[in-house]
Amino acid sequence: MADAHAAGQTILVVGGGISGLTTAVEAAETGYNVLLVEKDPQLGGRVAQHNKYFPKLCSPVCGLEINFQRIKNNPRIRYLTLSEVEEIQGSEGNYTVRIRKNPRFVTEACTGCGDCAAVCTTEVADPFNFGLNKVKAIRNNHAMAFPSWYYMDPAYAKTDEAKQVAKICPAGAIQPDMEASVIEEQVAAVVWATGWKPYDAEKILPYGFGQYANVTTNMRFERLASVYGPTGGKIIRPSDGKEAKSVAFIQCAGSRDHNYLPFCSRVCCLASMKQATYVRDQYPDSKVTVFYIDLRAMDRYESFLQKTREDANISWIKSKPARIEEDANGNPVVIGENTLTGERYAMPFDLVVLATGMEPHSAVDAKVPSDQASHDEYGFVTGGVLAAGCAAAPTDVASSVQSATAMAMKAIHAAVKRG
Amino acid sequence: MEPKKIGCYICTGCGIGDALDLKALKAIASKEQKIPVVKDHALLCGAEGVAMIQKDLDEGAVNAVIIAACSHREKSAEFRFDIDLMDRVDLRDKCLWVQDVKDGDETAEEDRQMMAEDYLRLGSIKIKKMNVPDPFLHSEGSKDVLVVGGGLAGLTAARDIAKAGYQAVLVEKSDVLGGKMNAMFKVTPDNKPPYRDLADNFIGSLISEVEADNRIKIFKNATVTKTSGQPGQFDLIIKNATSTKEVRVGSIVVTTGFDLYDPTKLPSSLGYGASPDVVTSAEFEKMAKEGKIVRKSDGQPAKRVAFALCAGQRDKEHLDYCSGACCIYSMKQALYVIDQYGADASTYLVYQEIRTPGQMEDFYRKVQEEGGVFIKGDVTAVAGNPKGGVVVKVNDHLIRAHESLDVDLLVLATGMVSTVDTLDPNSPSPVGTGRDELPGSILNLQYRQGPSLPRLGTNDFPDSHFICFPYETRRTGIYVAGPARRPMGIAATMTDASGAALKAIQAVEAVALGVGVHPRSGDLSFPSYRAEGCTQCKRCTEECPFGAINEDDKGNPLFNPARCRRCSTCMGACPQKIISFANYSVDMISTMIKEIEIPEEDEEKPRILVFACTNDAVPALDMMGRLRSPISPYIRIIPLRCMGSLSLVWIADAMSKGFDGVLLMGCRHGDNYQCHNVRGSALAEIRLSKVSETLQRLKLESNRVKMVEVNIMDAETLPGVIGDFVEQISNLNPNPYKGF
Amino acid sequence: MAYDLSFAKDVYNKSEMGHWIKMCMQCGVCAGSCPLRAHWQHSPRQLFQMVRAGKRDEVLKSSDMWMCTSCYNCIVRCPRELPITHIIHGLARYAETEKAVDPMQPTRRFAVEVFWKNITATGRVGEAMLTMRLYFQDGIGAGIQRGLEMRDSALGMLKTRRLNPIPFRGKIKGYDGFTKMLAKAAELEAKLENKA
Repeated sequence: MADAHAAGQTILVVGGGISGLTTAVEAAETGYNVLLVEKDPQLGGRVAQHNKYFPKLCSPVCGLEINFQRIKNNPRIRYLTLSEVEEIQGSEGNYTVRIRKNPRFVTEACTGCGDCAAVCTTEVADPFNFGLNKVKAIRNNHAMAFPSWYYMDPAYAKTDEAKQVAKICPAGAIQPDMEASVIEEQVAAVVWATGWKPYDAEKILPYGFGQYANVTTNMRFERLASVYGPTGGKIIRPSDGKEAKSVAFIQCAGSRDHNYLPFCSRVCCLASMKQATYVRDQYPDSKVTVFYIDLRAMDRYESFLQKTREDANISWIKSKPARIEEDANGNPVVIGENTLTGERYAMPFDLVVLATGMEPHSAVDAKVPSDQASHDEYGFVTGGVLAAGCAAAPTDVASSVQSATAMAMKAIHAAVKRG
Repeated sequence: MEPKKIGCYICTGCGIGDALDLKALKAIASKEQKIPVVKDHALLCGAEGVAMIQKDLDEGAVNAVIIAACSHREKSAEFRFDIDLMDRVDLRDKCLWVQDVKDGDETAEEDRQMMAEDYLRLGSIKIKKMNVPDPFLHSEGSKDVLVVGGGLAGLTAARDIAKAGYQAVLVEKSDVLGGKMNAMFKVTPDNKPPYRDLADNFIGSLISEVEADNRIKIFKNATVTKTSGQPGQFDLIIKNATSTKEVRVGSIVVTTGFDLYDPTKLPSSLGYGASPDVVTSAEFEKMAKEGKIVRKSDGQPAKRVAFALCAGQRDKEHLDYCSGACCIYSMKQALYVIDQYGADASTYLVYQEIRTPGQMEDFYRKVQEEGGVFIKGDVTAVAGNPKGGVVVKVNDHLIRAHESLDVDLLVLATGMVSTVDTLDPNSPSPVGTGRDELPGSILNLQYRQGPSLPRLGTNDFPDSHFICFPYETRRTGIYVAGPARRPMGIAATMTDASGAALKAIQAVEAVALGVGVHPRSGDLSFPSYRAEGCTQCKRCTEECPFGAINEDDKGNPLFNPARCRRCSTCMGACPQKIISFANYSVDMISTMIKEIEIPEEDEEKPRILVFACTNDAVPALDMMGRLRSPISPYIRIIPLRCMGSLSLVWIADAMSKGFDGVLLMGCRHGDNYQCHNVRGSALAEIRLSKVSETLQRLKLESNRVKMVEVNIMDAETLPGVIGDFVEQISNLNPNPYKGF
Repeated sequence: MAYDLSFAKDVYNKSEMGHWIKMCMQCGVCAGSCPLRAHWQHSPRQLFQMVRAGKRDEVLKSSDMWMCTSCYNCIVRCPRELPITHIIHGLARYAETEKAVDPMQPTRRFAVEVFWKNITATGRVGEAMLTMRLYFQDGIGAGIQRGLEMRDSALGMLKTRRLNPIPFRGKIKGYDGFTKMLAKAAELEAKLENKA
């Protein structure tokens, strides 16, 4: 290192999604120690739930795997899963942080053999798939999840069965009595990379999500299209399992809207274009309609818009639909006015996908503790601790990586200042 | 180095011990492969198992380790020993878990045992053939960073490099720092809540900060006329009008920014040149900065101003992309008019799509609040108005009418064109950039493959994996930031420059340790060649995806290890098989192929060799194991570092040995390639097109060899892909070379 | 036609909530939300764009803003929080003060000639007279015809005591206060208009 003192410093990265992973590996590969804290049992965050990335239509797992490999090979990175930062004291260059480690009930000794899940009889709604299917109460998120050791739901850990299951683990890795613990760490910089969660579509009353079975959200649709999702990748509608060949996407469902999220979530237009290709690739006789206000395919992503526009079976209607009703066949009917023709429409579809926006976790359930940050009115972090990716603003993956790399630089500045 | 003392440790946990004949396995290791220490443990990854291995290491009984247990992707923390040579043999995920053996099915049991034994043989050969890489180190390396371009991105990068404790060399071709920012009047609140108010231009204070920093050496009126060498020792010639300086740096950040699209090339319907009152956004900005917003024609106040957005952008005839920042930029300029003329101002923004992402939606609202009128539509014609100003014909999509706008000024929001010279052998002409000729080279790289940075696909942007790893160019240690990399606005440019600065200091640190950077960060190995065998065919120098290999006067390859990403494409390219890595070579794989047991023809157990790319195909095969998807017991998988390392001699080896077929699993190539090394799988496919000659020579059917694209998520479909190939091979006669 | 902001600026200043028209982003949600959209020639967002384009006559002569029944669907859904219902009523009022409205515009006639007179005369709405005046405003023949057309509705309403057949006579309690309130409102309005 250019500065021997600085190199001994640790950078705390909060959040193990694509932004946090990037900050962590980029800082560590520059020679700094990193402590990565993730609240979920496995790393990868929101992107791990995506079927494909726009515009290359490739799997996020590919890039995640490279980053996981870099973490495995780099002893400078320590990571904690199921952990949350409870308190931050001090200031840039010299923070003391308190981290709560929630119990996983399975230790790192787990070999991933799966014997426990085979005998576990309790099934729960799968949070990884937004509750669209059931999974065992002791499990892995998916086959490529990292770290690959299993975890157990806290409610299940209390059951007698959990104690029995613990006995069959050949590695002795299952510990239903595991308790939370709190650790304290000294760090030079804090990078908040807590990402986003999908806006709760049930709040958008006129669109009837939660009321009509065949109105779903874009993140659920990602899981629906994934071969490791609840339907094995078959795009079918929830009410009756019928192939969804006529699909509508409603943009700005909850974004650019003062009733919900006033800001633009930036990625939803491109995400819907991508999801339109899922439908078109799966069913050659399918039709897709996208309802939008403005198509925001920023800078070079424009070519992706142009490419999807070449498909005559994808229609584009400039309109924010007013409401959705359901017809006798369970088809959601989208109602509104086409602003370019002035015509009113009431169009039935097999499935309607609401392109719901991003709510920053930093506004809701991953707030920066102890007044160590300033926020804008939407809860994005704008000052104080460093913020990467969607903790700072709604961004796509490439911009998140860009932001996360920049924050590694800023964190190193803090470490150098202290050193 | 002391002689290799190999220890082979077999895990019998996770069902391995129950399923396999341990005694026979151990005999393969000790008797057949002559490995001195062979031990087993019921839970090798447990504390006790690990301690057993550590003890042997501590006592000096062993200095190279084979772990025969699960996939190398598991238990890396447990099996992290302080030794140089280790290999993992996957008995569980890629053998046990993909073999469906019913109780009492002795044939299946035997097949599975044969598979496990072969994998143990492969691991043994591999570790025997592996040598400890000696890192490439250079005593006169530099950790300084060159920043080319002294605009916003360059100033930010230089400042951040210095703040991190490194020296920066900043080269600016003009006589002032600040670049396009110097012409900027106010800046938009891109990341400043409440995202509504314009702020003063801050470039002056950034320039002062950079000029005051003694860790930053500034060359003005200067250009880089030559860049030779490699990361850690890039030797530059920096020239200005009066002098020539030679400077050594470790890495480079290119921040030369953008040119505005040439307005004279715009569609005539936009009226540039038709009247002095049609101006570009840049010309308008200058006027606003100078204080008075007036008609160019007669100097009268310009209170009515129209802005044509996307001028020459999102248009196949001009720039086919969006510049990302012009909507916001034009809105800012509308505010200038409103600020200057108050209630008398009329501003119109004619747009296709308003693009104010994220919190900048608030800025859109602010401009509307101030009275900016947004018209979705096209400018169809512009004519000078005899009374001064211009008449702009607009097709208004929202009220579905052709209307006219009688304004004092029409401002055209022209787009950004990267100033970085890019290299694309397939399309050397400056397509769609509005340029008459290619830009001059920024770095003048003394690389065999040319002076410029390769670009990605059809886009004119110098990068390689722009979603997951946006900073990676195909020239190691050289990073591009700001609008030179991709169109972007002010806040994004500063963020981008900080990120590129980080990558640049990361590169110099990696070089100092002799380790590779992305995608094989930390790898100590690099290629070397046996000079006497070289025929100067130049394939390695041409095919290297990263331009790492130059040529000397005689046409011999000159390896630049610090430019190398360790992908091994050169190794596969070399027809003489003389390029190798300490721990990876043509000979290693050839020997592994030859070590696999091929049953006699009458046993009716075909053998199919699978070469799997270690980046995507191998994890997909692992996932297949986790899903317990059964596959044919006749396949044997050899992971390759990258499909680019594929040597055709391996196919010949496999065929001569008696393999009935060879299946290659590489990454997607073409426009949306997934190859971590950009060109590896594409080059393998080209090489493979010549495999029929090999097969013909051996009098074998050409369909015995097949290459498939495998994506990391293909675990579901892989059993089918493998099954189909096995069936296809089963329909052929057995390879007649069996037993020779 | 040429774009001109002078009309829009006047609306922003003088029409009730008119300045909100600036904020419309043309998403169209109001149009889809309006239960009477089929009867409108231009939806609210079209009217707003026409205001911004300077289409004074088309806007002011339009019947559209007289159609609003104040269901508030559009307000509830407008992503930009435009008080659309109020803007629409404001535009109608603005058209009236600008004397640009077609005098035969039925809603205008009802509101200005029938309803206003009816309510200000006594202080409360007299349903019987109100209906009568409305039906007979185009003459006796037309009145009888309309009355016959609506006979079933009227009988139904009578039966369910939804219509009081006896005209309200006299004045409401505190009629003086009521007229003072109206006078004050008129004064305030005049002041506002002068200011603008």
